[in-house]
Amino acid sequence: MNRIKYFAAETWASLSKNLILAVAAMAVVAVSLSLLGLVVLGWNMFSNMIKNAERRVGEIDIYLSDLTTEQERQAIEDFLVSLPEVDPARVIYKTKDEALKEFKERFRDNPELWENLEDNPLPNSFKVTTKDPKDVGVVVGTVKTQAPFLNRIEDVRSASAAIEKLENIFDKFRQVGILGVLALVVVSVMLVSVTIQVAIFARRREIGIMKLVGATNWFIRWPFVLEGVFEGTVGSLVAILLVMAVKVWILDRLIESLHFLRMAITPGLLGLLIPSLLLGGLIIGALGSAYALGRYLEV
Amino acid sequence: MIRMRRVTKVYKGNIYALEDVTLDIERGEFVFLVGPSGSGKTTLIKLLIKEEEPTSGQIYIADTNINQLRKWKIPYLRRKIGCVFQDFKLLPHKTVFQNVAYAMEVTGKPRRLIEQQVPEVLKLVGLGHKLDAFPDELSGGEQQRVAIARAFINRPPILLADEPTGNVDPSLAEGIIRLLEKINSTGTTVIVATHDKEIVNTFRKRVIALENGRVIRDQDKGVYGYE
Ligand SMILES: Nc1ncnc2c1ncn2[C@@H]1O[C@H](COP(=O)(O)OP(=O)(O)OP(=O)(O)O)[C@@H](O)[C@H]1O
Ligand SMILES: [Mg+2]
Repeated sequence: MNRIKYFAAETWASLSKNLILAVAAMAVVAVSLSLLGLVVLGWNMFSNMIKNAERRVGEIDIYLSDLTTEQERQAIEDFLVSLPEVDPARVIYKTKDEALKEFKERFRDNPELWENLEDNPLPNSFKVTTKDPKDVGVVVGTVKTQAPFLNRIEDVRSASAAIEKLENIFDKFRQVGILGVLALVVVSVMLVSVTIQVAIFARRREIGIMKLVGATNWFIRWPFVLEGVFEGTVGSLVAILLVMAVKVWILDRLIESLHFLRMAITPGLLGLLIPSLLLGGLIIGALGSAYALGRYLEV
Repeated sequence: MIRMRRVTKVYKGNIYALEDVTLDIERGEFVFLVGPSGSGKTTLIKLLIKEEEPTSGQIYIADTNINQLRKWKIPYLRRKIGCVFQDFKLLPHKTVFQNVAYAMEVTGKPRRLIEQQVPEVLKLVGLGHKLDAFPDELSGGEQQRVAIARAFINRPPILLADEPTGNVDPSLAEGIIRLLEKINSTGTTVIVATHDKEIVNTFRKRVIALENGRVIRDQDKGVYGYE
């Protein structure tokens, strides 16, 4: 207890002596850890969005021209049902009126999207589901080349192609984010280490005296270790506040107003993220002081 | 208690600070180490606390060869040897109380004991009223007495004092040596390096005289002896 008090007092005295540098170090720790937190949250939101979208991954939409006659429509339906990869019970014809009704339902909170429509821009369509989601590509290819009345088929779309594109984009986002965070973490370890080096340098005469009156190396080191850990921890606390603020004021609102994208933050993720950030700050601080002590406080 | 065998210390630049020094100091002795400036008194003290390494020769303290002492054991050696440094070596950012307390803190003494003993010892050296002063607010003589208080706060078996009367007037100087004598009478081995002819001639202890790094005289109940 006595020792803890002593070390705390030493740490505080040293910190307050090079306050500007210490604040800079804490700020950089805070920035890098909040970026880490935001990358994790953002990535989680998007991957949930993709997962929600993937439930529809076996579906293919085939859009028909408004000029399609009933015979032509029937021929196309027969062709679709005959495909071996397609589940024949799930070839569904949706008229343009049904499509508009569905659209209005889905965007009922954004009536400005459909209120002023003069006529229905949505086409008639078939919704086809494959027996196995991985056959979507084959079926799309077959329909595009071999279906009867190809000139009546305006477009063939599957969710999986779009999802693949999205996944690629988000993978890039994740890679860039992780690289950026890694670089920032290295910079923050270095900056913490610099503040400790400065503290050691400022007190090198004192350290010499302490050794001469019988202080062990660890007795001399502890205040510097605590100084680094303190800087890292304060930085991580600031980062946690920042991440929480961004989540409550920006991400939650974004998720709500773009609810049709079905983004979400996994429940319980924050409960995991917050202690991890705290631990991260602690480790950054400890690494920073360990590096400084190893190099500049010879045993 | 202290044995030096053919100890030579050469500083860089080929400066022979000590040359072929052999001496024995028994437990409980009081020794004056005398000699003109530059004769090697401080160097001898630095070798005993391993602040410097001898160039050749062996040094034993309580039958331990300190040349072969492991690095991590050095702090424990230094806790057994109280040392009053010629330049005091006080911690500038700590108060008088904290400076003396530090020597107890490094050994893990409980706070209660520190708060009781430090003021006691400071009162003994006449600084009971300066507990909260910082070193740069003290006179040279006062700083010297803080250094003395710190050196024997842990009741070490050996006390080394390098010019402990260098910055005080003669009456105070005598008081300081009497204090060291009192510490010596409790069984502590005391070595005082000094220029102070008056003091050496008054107290009549064993005198080891150095000149140009060599022991030129070792005499019981001796006198200063340089003119
Ligand atoms: N770190 C050092 N590097 C080089 N030479 C040194 C060093 N320390 C001391 N010396 C030299 O060693 C010799 C002995 O010095 P030392 O300090 O032991 O003398 P001293 O007897 O304590 O003198 P004083 O009475 O003035 O304190 C001197 O010539 C000094 O210049
Ligand atoms: Mg000297």
